[in-house]
This record gives sequence, C-alpha cells and structure tokens, in this order.
Amino acid sequence: MDPQALLTCLSTASCVITQTTGGLISGMLLFLVAAGLSLIFGTLKVVNFMHGSLYMLGAYFAYTLYTATGNFTIAVVGAALGVGLFGLVFERLFMSRVYNTDVLMQLLVCYGFILILDDAVKIIWGAEFLSMGMPAAFQRPPIMIAGGILPVYYLFLIGVTLGVALLLGLLLTRTRAGKIVRAAAVNPTMTSALGINTALVFGGVFALGGLLAGLSGALAAPVRSMVAGMGFSILIESFIVTVIGGMGSIGGALVGALLIGLVRSFGTIGFPLFTEGVMFLFMTLVLITKPSGLFGKEH
Amino acid sequence: MTDTQRTRRNRRGFIKAAGALTASGLAFPYVARAQDKPIRIGVPTILSGRVAQLGISSRNALQIEVDKFNAAGGLNGRKLEIIARDSKGKPDEAANNTRQLINGDGCEIIISAESSAGAFAVQEVIRELKVLCIHTNSETSSLSADPKIRVPTAFRTARQGIHDAIVSAAYAGNVAKAKGLKTWMTCSPDYAYGRDNTSLFLEYMKRFHPEIEMVGEAWPKLFQADYTENITKILQAKPQALYSCLWAGDLVSFLDQSGIYNLFAQTTLFAINMADYTTLTAVKNLPAGIHSSSRYLKTFPAVPENAAWGDAYKAKFGDYPTNWSWENSLAMTFLTTALRKVNSTDGAKLADAIRGMKVKSPFGADGTVTMRAEDQTTIGYAIGWGTTISKEPYVPSVTPGDWKSILEHEAEWKKKMGFA
Amino acid sequence: MRSTVWLDIVIAAAAMAVLLLLPLVFPGKAFSDFMIRLSAFAIFATSLNLLVGYTGLVSFGHGLFYGLGAYSFALMMQKLGTSIPVAFIATVGVSAAVATVVGAICIRLKEIYFSFLTLAFQMLLHSVIIAWTPLTGGDQGLTGGVPRPPFLGIRLDDPQHLYIFCSAVLVVSLYIMWHLVRSPFGYTMRMIRDNPRRAEFLGVRVWRVRLLAFVVAGVFGSIGGLLMSLFVSSAYPDFAYWTVSGEAVFMILMGGISVFFGPLVGAVMLLLLNDVVTRVTEHYSLMLGIIILCFALGLRKGLLGFVLWAWERRRAGAQ
Repeated sequence: MDPQALLTCLSTASCVITQTTGGLISGMLLFLVAAGLSLIFGTLKVVNFMHGSLYMLGAYFAYTLYTATGNFTIAVVGAALGVGLFGLVFERLFMSRVYNTDVLMQLLVCYGFILILDDAVKIIWGAEFLSMGMPAAFQRPPIMIAGGILPVYYLFLIGVTLGVALLLGLLLTRTRAGKIVRAAAVNPTMTSALGINTALVFGGVFALGGLLAGLSGALAAPVRSMVAGMGFSILIESFIVTVIGGMGSIGGALVGALLIGLVRSFGTIGFPLFTEGVMFLFMTLVLITKPSGLFGKEH
Repeated sequence: MTDTQRTRRNRRGFIKAAGALTASGLAFPYVARAQDKPIRIGVPTILSGRVAQLGISSRNALQIEVDKFNAAGGLNGRKLEIIARDSKGKPDEAANNTRQLINGDGCEIIISAESSAGAFAVQEVIRELKVLCIHTNSETSSLSADPKIRVPTAFRTARQGIHDAIVSAAYAGNVAKAKGLKTWMTCSPDYAYGRDNTSLFLEYMKRFHPEIEMVGEAWPKLFQADYTENITKILQAKPQALYSCLWAGDLVSFLDQSGIYNLFAQTTLFAINMADYTTLTAVKNLPAGIHSSSRYLKTFPAVPENAAWGDAYKAKFGDYPTNWSWENSLAMTFLTTALRKVNSTDGAKLADAIRGMKVKSPFGADGTVTMRAEDQTTIGYAIGWGTTISKEPYVPSVTPGDWKSILEHEAEWKKKMGFA
Repeated sequence: MRSTVWLDIVIAAAAMAVLLLLPLVFPGKAFSDFMIRLSAFAIFATSLNLLVGYTGLVSFGHGLFYGLGAYSFALMMQKLGTSIPVAFIATVGVSAAVATVVGAICIRLKEIYFSFLTLAFQMLLHSVIIAWTPLTGGDQGLTGGVPRPPFLGIRLDDPQHLYIFCSAVLVVSLYIMWHLVRSPFGYTMRMIRDNPRRAEFLGVRVWRVRLLAFVVAGVFGSIGGLLMSLFVSSAYPDFAYWTVSGEAVFMILMGGISVFFGPLVGAVMLLLLNDVVTRVTEHYSLMLGIIILCFALGLRKGLLGFVLWAWERRRAGAQ
C-alpha cells in the first residue's frame, strides 16, 4: 500500500493524464469482450462462462489468418466472423438445450467447452505461447497529447471500440431486429406467439456476442501473447465488468469497463498488490447496494 | 519380508481390490502393473494450462537421459522408467500426485519438475515418505536454504534465486556505471518468485552500487494480459533502466506492448528471463540491446558438449531446450551416477551418495557442477549476462558470473536470514 | 421417529465399521490417501448441496469456506501451536461467524445475484490470501508443514490414524447433515426451495431458514477444507479459488442433486476420474470436458439420481 504515491500522482497533471489514458485503453479492450457477455445475458438470460474461450479462439484464428495472408484486415474480420459462426453453432447444438434448466446446467455446458477448447488449442497450435507481432502499418512512434502518450495502435483500437459501441447501440434501439431482440429479452413466449422465430433471435444474439469476443481476441493478438488458457483471466475481468455495469446493459458494460480500467491504472500506483482485491470489493459493494448493477434494470 | 514377497502380497490385494471394484462398475486406478523390473521415477509436473511448456520440456530432457542410461544397460539390467503426472499447476494436486506415484505406482525416486508452489507441496510429501527427490524447476532460495523447510532426501538442481540476484546485481551495476544509468525501476510479476527475485536483486544492487536511485516499481499480476497501466507508470517515472523478471509469454506481451509506447528508446531493459529460446524466438522483431541472463543457450557455456546436447534435443523434439530442460538433465546426471555407485534405490543411501557429489556437466561453469552438502543444492552451474541481437545466436557474448563472489555473498545472506 | 434415529445410528456405525475394515481389503497406502481426500471433498460437496439442492440457493462461492477452514486451521496449528481439537473447534467457530455475516448479506439477493455475490466474497478472500504474504505465504501457500501433535492417543502424522480420523469425521458429518435434511427444518428448507412465497404465507421466516442453512453449510464446508489441510500438511490459495466451488458443483451434478448421497457419489466419481484420466493421458481437459457435457446434456439427474430413478420405475412397473 502506498497512498502517498497515489496522492503525489493525483497532484501532478502529467501523471493523471498518462494513467487515465492508460486506464481508458485497458477499459476499452475490456469493453469489447464484456459487451458480448452482457448482450448474451440481457437477451438469453444465460451467463456465457465460455466467453473467454471465444476471445482465445479469436486471437488464434487471427494469428493463423495473419500468418497465412499477411493481411491484418483479413485476419481481424475473418477471425471475428469465424468465432461468430462458432458461437452460432455452439448455441444451436448445445446451449439451446439447457435454456430451460437451472443455471448450473448452463455453467456445466460452458465449463465443459472451456476445457475442451483449451485442450483443442493446445493440440492444434501447440503448448508454447505464440506472438503475432505488430502489423507494419502500426509500427510507428506514439503520439504525444498534452503530455500523455498514445500509441497509434491503441488509437485505432479506441476508434474501433467506440464504433462498435455506437453500432451496437443503434442496432438495439433503432432497428427492427434490435426491437425484436429487446422484446425477446423481456418476454420470449409472447414474442414467439407473435410469430417471431425466437430460436433465430437467440442464435443470432449468441453469434453476435461471439463475434464481439472474437473481434476483441483478434485485436488483442498483436499486443498479447497467446497460449491455451488465456481466456481465463479475460473471463473473470469481463465478468466483473458486466456485473458492475449491469448484466444486459451495453452502456453499463462500457462504464464498468472504463471504471475497472481506471481502478487498475491508479491502483497500480496506490495499492499495486491488491488491485484485484479492489475490483472484487467493488463488485461486492455494487451487488450489495444495487444487485442489478449500476445501469441494469430491476426485474 | 523380502521385496518380492511384499510385492506379491500387495499384488494379490490389488487383484482383489480390482475385482471388487470392477464388480461395482468402477475401474479403480491404483491397480499397479507388474512392478518387478524397471526402476520407476515419478515426475510430478505441469503438463496443461499456461505453463505446459515447463512439464513438456522437462520431461523431454529427462527422457533423453533415461534412454541413454537404458541403452548403456541400465542398473544391472533394471531399466529406468519415467512416469510424469500433470498437477495442472495446483499444489494440492502436486502433493497428491507425488503420493500416488510413490504409494500407487511404485515409484522409487521422485523428480519434482514443479514450479515453486508445487515444489514446496512435494517437499512435505517427501518429508513423510523419505524417498529420494530432486527438485528441478523451483528457484526459490528458501526451498533448500531454510533448514526448517529442508528435507534430508530432497535436493535441487535448479538455479537458485540468491545466486541469480548476486550475479545480476554485479553485472547490471557494472553496466550502470559504464553507461551512467542512475535511475532504476522494476517491473516484475506479483507472486512469490517475482517478489523474491526482485527484492534480492534490489538488495544487492543497493549494496554494490549505493549511488543508484530507485524511482518506482510496477507489479503486474502473473499471466496478466494487459500491461498498459504498468507501462504508463514506467513512462511516467522515466527511469534510465528497468529490471524485470517477467518470463515466457508474459515477457513477450510486455515487450510487444512496451514496443508501441517506444519505451525502450528512453529506458534500458534488464530482463533476466529473456535469453531462453522459446522466448527469444516467440518475439517478433526482437529488440536488440536487451540485457538478459542466460537461461539456456547452446552457445553458453561455449563447449562442444553443450552445443551437441542442444542440437540433439532439437533434432528429437523439434524445438530448442528450455532453462527447465537443462535443470532436469543435470538432475539425471546426479541420479544415474549415484544409482551406479550405491546400486540401490533406497532414499537415504542415494541421498548420502549425492550429497557433496561433483559431476562433469556441459552446464557447469568450469565443466563441473557440485551438489553442495550443507544445503543439498547445486553450485558452479553456468550463469552469466549479455545483450540480445535479433537473430541466432541471439546473445552473442555472455559475461560469466564469478562463483567465488557468489558463494561469499550467499554465505553472508544465509547468516543474515538465520539459515546458517 | 425414535426408531428411525436408532436405525440411522446403527447404519452410521455400520458405515464406520466398513470404512475401518476396508484397508484390510485394500492394503495399499494409495487407497487410504484416496479415502482421506474423498472425505474432504465429500463433506464439502454435500454441504454445498444443502444450499443448492435443498434450499435452492445456488452458491458459486462455497470455496470461501473450504479455503477459510484450511487456512484458519493450519494457521492456528502453525502460529499458535494449539492442540488439534482446540483448533478444530475454533475453526468451526470462525467459519460459523464468517458464514453468519456473509450469509446475512448474500441471502438478501435473488437468484443469480446471490450466486454472483457469493462468488465475489470468495474471490475477495482469495485476493486477501494472495496479498497478505507475511501471514499466509501468498501464492506459495503455507510452507514448513502443519504440525500434528498427538491428542487422546491419536497421532495424525500416522497415515493410518489420519485415515481413521477422516473416516470418522466423514461419517459424523454426513450423519448430522442427513438428520438435518430429514428433520422438520429440512422440510422447511425444501418448501422454501420449491416456493418461497408460499412458505412465507405459512408463517415461515424465510430469511432465517436460509441463513441457518448457509451457516450450517459453511461450517461443514470449512471442515472439508480442514481435512484437506491435514492431508497436504499445508494450505494453498487455490483452496479459496472459484475452481474449488466449481468442482463441488460438478460433484453434486455428477452424483445427483436430488439425492442426499449424490454429492458423495459424485466426489468418488470426479476423484477417480481425475486420477484415472491424468494417469492415461495428457489430455485431461479434453476428456473431462466431454464427460461433463455428457452429464449436462444427457444424464441430468446425475449417476445416483438416475440409478434410483430407474430402480423406482422398475419397481413401479412390476407392481
């Protein structure tokens, strides 16, 4: 614990700027994964515990596509679509069978898949960790803004994330598909009575959630080494984010992710050995005072 | 009761057991196969999850030595057999696996290729069951240095934290003096090894070079995915040099993420775990000029036996060996020499033979490695520092550490800690 | 009622006798090792099922008590040098106190949020264990072994004594929990699980029953952790990690959530599976994953639940 250092940092502008940008960047990456988790929960009322594994698949797909084609765009788009497709198949074949059972069965199916995918990755890509390397387009010096430093690649990531957040928001509130999704979330029986194919809606939402997880995995690939089991820590973090922000709320996921990013970035200065503890403490407090999360709807 | 008699009785018991359980529809796992011939070496290790590479590269190295020993006729015809078992990185599983290997599979010797937490768990089992055990991967000093933790039949052939710290501080201090690196910072993973390694390094750094100023420390978690907040913290403090004991995938992520911040334009990196082939080859565009300690390099020690060993390993398994590989290979050198000498697998007898033993080894600083009698850990193994280049041999010239100085400072450290 | 109590005691005594005789059939130490571990996990999983199966409280954080039991017992033995019975009773007291506080906070929440909050508390304990290195040894766990001084002629550093001790604790714990679920209180627990609102109309103080169930489960959960710390002669942060809670959940589901002895059967299955599969293949995860899927998609009643169900059906068919 070093509250002195935290105070010193908070009283210098450049430290505040650098740590804030750092925290926002971590938060943005976290949001991409957490958004999918939150979306799936909001509609399907299912906690997708294998969301981290989908993130891992995204990173590995991107690695393979990038190594094969040398084109980063193809790698990212291909990986996101690939994981989305995987999510769809998984939902139709397995997850859809446990919607009507209790949460433990859903947990079990997800955990089974976490184990299977981790081993499958080890068999296909090997036990050694892999690194994709930064695409040439982003290999340039970072930009200086008001004393803070911003790498070009992270600027790109922030752009993509904000774009995704905006698109998701528009999709859910402005389009017919979004209205159906929200209706199905509130009352699936009524929605299907109105002649809407809820199976299609659920499959679609799961695919979209998978796509987001795959996208974040692919975007993380240039800066994070890959290894079987890498989805684990991501799952825990994005889980905390969605619980804090409110399960099912995209806006909440964004706020929650940024909050966690900031807790981590200032925590590393003030209480470096207990940042994870603080995240769980935060989650505990939110659950106690407002169980549905900061932005979740009571139901 | 002779060994064979006991075996026979046990086996009858086991057959009964098997019958009873098969009848109830379960296959009981402890049905030992015929256990007359080979000498079984139990290897509790990690074969799954993020550090599977540890177990795989350890087991590979052990297998090479076992094959060699068996091809040379074994121990009076008795062959060695490796039984590696995955603890999945969980200490309680490591303890349980070790017990199973000894009590269930009839292993007479344990080579504990576990990470530190697992090694401490194995140590407690060995304390009770008293078979010979060689720890091959745990570098935590207290495992052998602390008399409360030490066990008469347990040894270590891994490098040791305190040795690393002394060599690192001596080398880094010299570079700091030559290049005028005054302000320092650390960035190490927040778990026992990371904290231990880093605090010892700092202690000796301050002792050898009191003029150096520490301007901060960053503690990412083990296996953290995103190091951004740590990197910005380092950028903020603007140290001239950074010490890190991040390793493997974590080090690679850290390098990749620091790279886009251009961190190493202003800060010289001393990464103790960089010079291991898996890490060196995994980094795309390995930055030149990173200072690192030799973990395993086939060019250091620069002797033909070492190069031949590295090449043979690569020819057989497709990759270069790791730091963990040579540590296991060295364990087998001690073990096979002792087996031939005492002609028995008795834990106490083997321990007596290994205690104080000096063997020829391609990994020795002077061609030999000694198992120091007083604390049952190895000394005299090759250890040194150098700077990286982006292609083979990756670290072209290595400055070896001075064992005389290591031993002096280590003795003093032990006294201070109340270990000696 | 009285006759069933006597019958239960006779059955428990018989079970104990069988456990005492088993080592004659399986003389190897591997067997007693297995049984010691089993006793720890069986008590732990059965205690969780008091919440999940009987009261309808799906806790994701039951490992809190497993870790708490292991650490408080091991620390008392290591740092205070108390005798084993004292440390045992003190551990029960500590867990009961913690369970009362945590339970009072958690049971206010509904369904999935209850699960999340229990998980958060467990991970909080895990973070504290990791961060409080001077006391707990951090991620390294407690080093140097847990002393096991003799008491009443029982020497727990002797594997045979430890085996008998663990068997006795297993039988007594299961006996108490078995009685609890068959008592009027157990009936109330099930009523709350099936229809909390109705229970409330009938004048049941739902929160009080839930809290009591939470405390009882917490106490027995910590006894499971205590036995494990005796076995490995240490305590590790993993004991308080959420994977431990996950394992207990699998045990319950594999054995059968709706049967009292389901978790016990599940514990036998998962431990055997773990030992067999790690023995034959490196691809433990893959195998376990497939088996878990089979249970989740096919055998939802769990093995014991399925066997009992099939037996009932056959009997019904025969009549």
